[in-house]
Amino acid sequence: MIEFHLDARSGVAPYRQLIHQVRHALRLGLLREGDQLPKVKDVVAGLAINPNTVLKAYRELEYEGLVAARPGIGTFVTGTLDGGSLAAHGPLRRDLARWLARARQAGLDDESIEALFASTFRSASEEDIA
Amino acid sequence: MIWLTWRQFRVQALTAAAALAAFAILLAATGPQLASRYAASAITGCHVGGCQSAAITFLSQLQASSAYPIVYLLGLALILVAPAITGIFWGAPLIARELETRTFALAWNQSITRTRWLVVKLTLTGLAAMAVTEALSLSYAWWADPIRKAIDLGGSTSLFSGGRFSSLIFATHGITPLGYAAFAFTLGTATGALIRRTVPAMAVTLAIFAAVQIAMPLGVRPHLIPPDRTVATIESVDLDFGNLTATVVPGEPGAWILSSGAINAAGQTVSTLPDACLGATTLGPKIGSSPGPCLQSHGFREAITYEPAGRYWPLQGIETGIFLALALALAGSCFWRLGRRRT
Amino acid sequence: MSAVIETDGLGKRYRRQWALTDCTLSVPAGHVVGLVGPNGAGKTTLLSLATGMLAPDAGTIEVLGGRPGAGPAQLSRVGFLAQDAPVYAGLSVADHLKLGARLNPGWDAGLARGRVDRLDLDPGQKAGTLSGGQRAQLALTLAVAKRPELLVLDEPVASLDPLARRDFLADLMEAVAEQELSVVLSSHLVGDLERVCDYLIVLVGSRVRVAGPVEELLATHHLLSGPRRDPDTLPDGLEVISASHTDVQTTLLVRTSGPVMDPAWTVSQVGLEDLVLAYMSQGAGRRRRDDHRHLEVRK
Repeated sequence: MIEFHLDARSGVAPYRQLIHQVRHALRLGLLREGDQLPKVKDVVAGLAINPNTVLKAYRELEYEGLVAARPGIGTFVTGTLDGGSLAAHGPLRRDLARWLARARQAGLDDESIEALFASTFRSASEEDIA
Repeated sequence: MIWLTWRQFRVQALTAAAALAAFAILLAATGPQLASRYAASAITGCHVGGCQSAAITFLSQLQASSAYPIVYLLGLALILVAPAITGIFWGAPLIARELETRTFALAWNQSITRTRWLVVKLTLTGLAAMAVTEALSLSYAWWADPIRKAIDLGGSTSLFSGGRFSSLIFATHGITPLGYAAFAFTLGTATGALIRRTVPAMAVTLAIFAAVQIAMPLGVRPHLIPPDRTVATIESVDLDFGNLTATVVPGEPGAWILSSGAINAAGQTVSTLPDACLGATTLGPKIGSSPGPCLQSHGFREAITYEPAGRYWPLQGIETGIFLALALALAGSCFWRLGRRRT
Repeated sequence: MSAVIETDGLGKRYRRQWALTDCTLSVPAGHVVGLVGPNGAGKTTLLSLATGMLAPDAGTIEVLGGRPGAGPAQLSRVGFLAQDAPVYAGLSVADHLKLGARLNPGWDAGLARGRVDRLDLDPGQKAGTLSGGQRAQLALTLAVAKRPELLVLDEPVASLDPLARRDFLADLMEAVAEQELSVVLSSHLVGDLERVCDYLIVLVGSRVRVAGPVEELLATHHLLSGPRRDPDTLPDGLEVISASHTDVQTTLLVRTSGPVMDPAWTVSQVGLEDLVLAYMSQGAGRRRRDDHRHLEVRK
């Protein structure tokens, strides 16, 4: 059974953090198909957060097809997450290195690169959700 | 709610029970002997005329003993203070303490209404206060019966005096203790509901109750039933020659004399013996040499304001009724005070 | 979703001062509602009206569809935990549970016993000797074990140390998850409420300033910073909650339903604490004005 933790200062909404942690656990193999996610009441007892937060996270994971809720029993893992095939990582890494070089040539310092990446990433994610 | 009332009241109840038990033991230890002393005295089988002296002898011997005066006085004191004690220690904290410690927020958010909460607490504790006081009174009346009988026969000593109409005895015998207990208790609860702090409520309750207890016999009781008046001869009233007051009302044995005074032939009140009769003065009623015939021959008579003996129970009933009505009104004020607009 | 608390123009007066003015709310069920505001803003008054401890002087209030404190049935549906968790000092923990059992028809004895065991409370211990945190837990047990639909708590953690505070809130959330309770809790500190509340009511100067789901409030409030400008030149649809100016820069906290298009402004998210503080300072400044700036969001 995995355990959740919250970073109150990260700026990321709590339910998103829970979703990330489940996906992370799936990726690492800590959670396998058929495993039960922690019960809502246990999560809130440990973290002192609103149960609706946990319910929202579990609902979204269910929408993504990763878990399924069995009323009265709990929420169980139904899907898997691989991080994309490892084959895709190589070309992506090379593309990224090239982009970084271009950014430095354009005169961006570390902070500017991070800020540019973060805001582009955020707006792209929001477009995904919308 | 009955359980909660009992649980909160437990210590006071047990204290009262212990006190009652201790007093009962004291009465039981001395009562039978008192009764047998009475039976063995000259009062039993006395004839009219000799009973008074037999009674005086009996009471004087009693007063000289060690135990009986103590129990006699203790009993009177207990019955007199019992209403005040229950009013202060049971009544005042009943509502005030809940408001002070804010436990009302706990009590009034269980699944019972404020009204039910108050009804149960007031009724159970109030009835307990009345029961305690009346139990003291009744058991004491049983114990002191021989003394009462002796006094009714005309016996009197410095300690054992006062007929049933006298202030002390009227307030401690009969049903008046019930009324006082109810009044003192509800006075405590109402004061507590008003002041909302326990200790000040206790002080105010004591002050008001004491004031009422003093005012009642002095100012109110004599007027509860309009008294009768009569004018009688000096001989017939067994005059006290010290202050010229009557000690009996002719034809009305056991009457309660509210006031009496000598009046001369012209109808004016006289407060001292006229010079003409000073020679034959003896203080106090004494059969034989007395200024009585002298006064009579000068046309003096005695004007008396009194309540006949038959009015004892009506007076008891009216006074108790007044205090019970006050108690109900005070209890009602508690409900009004705790209404939802005010907390 | 039905409303747990529905008020219309609710007001309460103490002598000549109005402790609560023109309060109109529709609080949905199934939420943990935070009632936040400075001391003296009227939070305890509002909660007392909701539990029937006080009667209104103006307007109406309905709780779970009924009149607060109307009778045993209504009282059993609402649990209340007063400020500083008053308990009977002379009664033991077990006595308190007996009190709950005797006075509540819906009492769940197993739940109460289970909580007392789990919290390591000694049943024989007199409640007066419990610590502040334990007293709060005992009072919470009494409120929860009668199986209410709505739980109302008045500053439940204000006098608790951080550990007790955390334990209490965690415990409360567990009860909410298990029993599907609606909760209304008040605090003068936003930090207490941030983790647990998903609906917020801000009460300042006896008036409701803003009310709505936390997510929606955070999505519709933004911090705008840019070159020094007169707020009156802003486009419509933007309501300024608070404004601060330096000689070159203006920072505004605004409420808006749509996105902010003007490129002159740098738009950033607002945290819950800053949002509440902005409304508190707005309330303090405009206490004497009669404008009705409270806004509510209906679900």
